[in-house]
Amino acid sequence: MRNKKAHIAIIVIFIIIIGVSIYYIYPVNSSIKLGLDLEGGTQIILKSTHKGEDEVTEESLDKAMLIIMDRIDKLGISEPLVTRDYSNNIIIQLPGVDDPNRAIEVIGKTAQLEFRILESVDEETGETNLGPILMTGDKLAKASAGYDSNGRIVVKMSFTTEGQEIFEKITSENIGKQLAIVLDGEIKSAPFIRTEIQGDAVIEGIDSLDEANDIALVLETGALPVSLEIEESSTVGPTLGRDSLEKGLYAGIIGLSLIIIFMAAFYRGLGLISIIGIIIYILIFWGILAGIDAAVTLPGIAGIILTIGMAVDANVIIFERIKEEIRKDKSARVAIGEGFKNGMRTIIDANVTTLITAAALYRFGTGSIRGFAVTLGLGVIISMLTSLVLTRSILFLISGSNIALAPGFTGIKRKHIKQNGKLQKQ
Amino acid sequence: MKFVNYNFDFVGKRKIWFIISAAVIIAGIAGYFIQGGFILGIDFLGGSLIEVDFKEDVKIVEVREVMEDLGFSNAILQQTESNRFIIRTTPIDIETKNKILNSLDEEIGINRPALQDRNVLPGFGKQITRYALIAIGVSIIGILIYVWIRFQLRYGVTAILALVHDVLITLGMYAILNREINTSTIAAILTIMGYSLNDTIVVFDRIREETPRAKKLGFDLVVNDSINKTLTRSINTSVTTLFPIIILLVIGSPALKDFAMALTIGLIAGTYSSIFFASPFLVSWNNRFPRYKK
Repeated sequence: MRNKKAHIAIIVIFIIIIGVSIYYIYPVNSSIKLGLDLEGGTQIILKSTHKGEDEVTEESLDKAMLIIMDRIDKLGISEPLVTRDYSNNIIIQLPGVDDPNRAIEVIGKTAQLEFRILESVDEETGETNLGPILMTGDKLAKASAGYDSNGRIVVKMSFTTEGQEIFEKITSENIGKQLAIVLDGEIKSAPFIRTEIQGDAVIEGIDSLDEANDIALVLETGALPVSLEIEESSTVGPTLGRDSLEKGLYAGIIGLSLIIIFMAAFYRGLGLISIIGIIIYILIFWGILAGIDAAVTLPGIAGIILTIGMAVDANVIIFERIKEEIRKDKSARVAIGEGFKNGMRTIIDANVTTLITAAALYRFGTGSIRGFAVTLGLGVIISMLTSLVLTRSILFLISGSNIALAPGFTGIKRKHIKQNGKLQKQ
Repeated sequence: MKFVNYNFDFVGKRKIWFIISAAVIIAGIAGYFIQGGFILGIDFLGGSLIEVDFKEDVKIVEVREVMEDLGFSNAILQQTESNRFIIRTTPIDIETKNKILNSLDEEIGINRPALQDRNVLPGFGKQITRYALIAIGVSIIGILIYVWIRFQLRYGVTAILALVHDVLITLGMYAILNREINTSTIAAILTIMGYSLNDTIVVFDRIREETPRAKKLGFDLVVNDSINKTLTRSINTSVTTLFPIIILLVIGSPALKDFAMALTIGLIAGTYSSIFFASPFLVSWNNRFPRYKK
């Protein structure tokens, strides 16, 4: 591109992009969403298996996710994220939870409530023999934790109209027998049926108010249509999170400073231009991350640091070529043109292979690794733009002036430039 | 460091470089067997990990005592700071975990909540392992195809060999130093692959450009010349990329340090392989199956 106007247009476009980025960056502190490993929080990966005879279907998984979200909501956890991954696992991300283990238990509980008659108990082994299921938890209208008239902790259940009818029938037909209230296969209590009961029932045999609250919660949200097994749970406390974030940022800033010093020392004026390019790159990258609300994880920060290194790399490749061309007595403008032409091919080849790697990581990775893949991929693309397009335009516009060939600008020693290395018009 | 118009003989002395590479890799393999294999993190084997912040400085024996009383005499304890410990066990359920935390609190005194609390089922660990290997495999194939298209088959294969060389060296270091391998190690390895390739392609690109001159000068000379010409760039790039990574290595949290360690070894290996392995290997290949002749 020889057209001066074209280059000016490019620079203007970039200024606009920078402006938009800065808009997204303010306010600075809340601009970037942090991943759980930096903010503190819990990630749970649940595998779904069939419950009883029901197979796991798309529908049941969707329903399960809705129920889980309902439970998370009732737990009072804000900004949760519930998604599925490539192998039908359910991934739950809960930022900043006080009692993660309790949350995990509540979320994963199947909560299958059954009312059955306790037919017999083996005196010796304690094995229980239960009759068929007479009613299930879907007939519940409300459930709440509380105390009974004796001051014991119970879960009070009120049934739907249909439920009340059925319950009446069960109790009237089974007076004198024990009604086993079974929650997830465990007999919570088995009171004797003295009379026909119209209305509500309670679950006894509960140890703490916390437990009662949890049971009430899961009963209200309904039973999960699938059985969930916790494959992985991972909690990072806020202290550790903040610690990692600080260290990561420190390293980034110190590293960046070192890079700046190095570039200035080695490539002088060209180096300064590349530094401008890199700062612009960081601004645009930041803006995009803030704009698309991507969560930055710890590996993500490492990815950002790496892509800064790669952006510098792109500049180094090009500058070395430019210097080489200048040593061959080419004019500044030609040298810059040649440098970019040859460099671009190399840079694109090199960056495409990194993109392939990032894509593979994204497809097959989870959580924090994905964060890394996203920053790596984004960074490569944006750095190609700033290094190949923006820097080129800036250099092109400067090449029209006499400073372009001064040793102070390129870092080439005077003896390597022939005496008549003046600018030659194209 | 400026290498203007330098002319090191990389190609001529290539047998030396190949022997060095082989030696390092063999050392790594030896390390693997001597140390009894890799230390795999809970991501791969499954297990439980808790990082606890004690209220005061504590000695490892005190923690060991508490764990043994609870029946976890084979728990792995790692002291990360004078009052911080990472405790690893086989997978346990939430009840047991709470029991452990409560015991530690009663006996010694910890800050709640725990710094870190992870639990991975072994089955899931296997799944992660499988996917990590698939990710690596897919990357390698994708890269091979791309380089094949852009250059020629021998360039593609050589590039992959250089990659494998770097990964083997990195893993070898992990084996010798007995460092744990987890998912961020895998991410680091994939990054190293991308980076090493970067480097290698820059040289290959130069060689491709200079190849027409091989008719007159011979392939050996052309390749050597290309390496020399790209030397400054190779080294400068590695240096600038290593700056922030070495800082991470020094001041990072244990997790970051691990990551940075892999990247440091890999980057150095990657630079070495592009200069001393990949291109000289092309020459050897060409001597065996000539394509570029005088």
